[in-house]
Amino acid sequence: MNLLSVSKSSKTNEIAVSVRNLGLTYSTSVERRPTIKARAKSLGRGTKHTRVIQALKNVDLDVEYGHVLGVIGSNGAGKSSMMRVIAGIIPPTNGRIEVFGSVSTLLALGVGFNPSMSGRDNVLLGGLAAGMTRDQIEDRFEEIVDFSELGDAIDAPMKTYSSGMYSRLAFSVAATVRPDILIIDEALSTGDAKFKEKSLNRIKELRSDDRALIIVSHAMGVLREICNDIAWLDKGTLVQRGEPNATIDAYQDFLHVKRSAASDEDV
Amino acid sequence: MSSSIQTPTQVYEPFRAGLPPLISYWKALWSRRTFITEFSRSELRDKHFDSFFGQLWLILNPLLLSGVYFLLVVIIRGNSDSQRYVHLTATLFLFYLISNSLTGGVKAVTGGQRLILNSAFPRVMLPISAVIIALFRFFPTLVVFLIIRTVLGVPFAWQMFWAIPILLIALILSLGLAITISCINVYFRDIASFLPYLTRTILYLSPVLYESSSLSRRVLRFEILNPLFPLLDSWSRVLVHGQAPQMSSMLIALGWALVIFLAGSYIFLSREREFAVRF
Repeated sequence: MNLLSVSKSSKTNEIAVSVRNLGLTYSTSVERRPTIKARAKSLGRGTKHTRVIQALKNVDLDVEYGHVLGVIGSNGAGKSSMMRVIAGIIPPTNGRIEVFGSVSTLLALGVGFNPSMSGRDNVLLGGLAAGMTRDQIEDRFEEIVDFSELGDAIDAPMKTYSSGMYSRLAFSVAATVRPDILIIDEALSTGDAKFKEKSLNRIKELRSDDRALIIVSHAMGVLREICNDIAWLDKGTLVQRGEPNATIDAYQDFLHVKRSAASDEDV
Repeated sequence: MSSSIQTPTQVYEPFRAGLPPLISYWKALWSRRTFITEFSRSELRDKHFDSFFGQLWLILNPLLLSGVYFLLVVIIRGNSDSQRYVHLTATLFLFYLISNSLTGGVKAVTGGQRLILNSAFPRVMLPISAVIIALFRFFPTLVVFLIIRTVLGVPFAWQMFWAIPILLIALILSLGLAITISCINVYFRDIASFLPYLTRTILYLSPVLYESSSLSRRVLRFEILNPLFPLLDSWSRVLVHGQAPQMSSMLIALGWALVIFLAGSYIFLSREREFAVRF
């Protein structure tokens, strides 16, 4: 799929992603690192070596062009799983997802899969894996490096990067590729205040550019500012969907968290 | 809200067990072929194989290995000749193509964890890259072999061109092994620690330290169970002795390579959609 398809004149309010009756159940190993040794042990003890996880249940969700959808929920609510299903990384167990346009599959951690390679190589390989051509990536390379403010560090191995540099590069790639639909998973709290401001501006720019954005974050203050819509997930189900302030307030009441400064801070 | 009647560019629905649609899978794989070459190149660069000493090591390493094994053969047999050394280097270098595919393939999928968790692409690209890397490391040793062969005065023959189909069969086998082992490693992460024993066993069961002609008929009968045996035997016949390979060996080698490749690909392709939840 081509990430760089030309956007049509005005797509505001047209459907970008339609999620119908989405369910995701999968089995994964109990051990963090499944081994033959662990399997032999569990056989000997008669314990199970896999457990079934129901990550999502009956989720219906539409995302329109020109809108920014924020996804909130406690850890393990199924936010990241839903993003991966929309991006086509994990197939759903039930339901149907229709995507109208190109999705940026360069989620927050997409770049930097090989820490001993340079940032440049990682960006190139991440882009090629996502189905872009080498020319498309090289055309944007300058812009990516500029936006990330990494300078010469782009040619250093990624294991030498600080976490701030790391996420700055990730955000720059995702935002520069200019997909129709951009999914940002926990990448808003990138770097210092200056870069945060810059990335917020870029998101607003993309929103006015008739793109669809889905943002997973715990930074409630940021979400109140940039989203038109909030979806609140809890234990794999969609609890509430609607106007940002009302939904975030309901979520915070649910968590028994007063709207204190702490909960508005980026984590 | 204006509802449009456009068709979705992507539809994701539950999958049934078994293979994904093969035609679209192949298209997705083919459109990402630059990834495979670029990935192999940067992996090789990462190991400094683009520098002079890196390349020297690529040649020195198999040379030292063949020297060590030759020493072993000389001590065990008491005597030896240049023909035996040529046989040893020829088969050892091809053996290392296959064994490097295995050792590179075992971590191919688990090492690409970050990429798998964050983008949708045909996962089989990763073990294929491992085989390409092994192939890049094999070519310099082939040149070294041809030099050794010339220096030791082994005559050339046109039958040596049989090496090309044999190499192709070896590549199919390497791909099959890399794809299989990379998939197994997702479910059993400690498989890599068993690999040295496996490759060492296969090495001793294959005609590398000895020639197949020195084996008894009784032992030879069982060698049909070793996928590498007919391959390395034919390789030696062709490149060392300048004879055409036995058709029966070629067919058995091809049969083994295809069975391992097809079975491994089936297991991999029918499992790869759940790799992302296994990390």
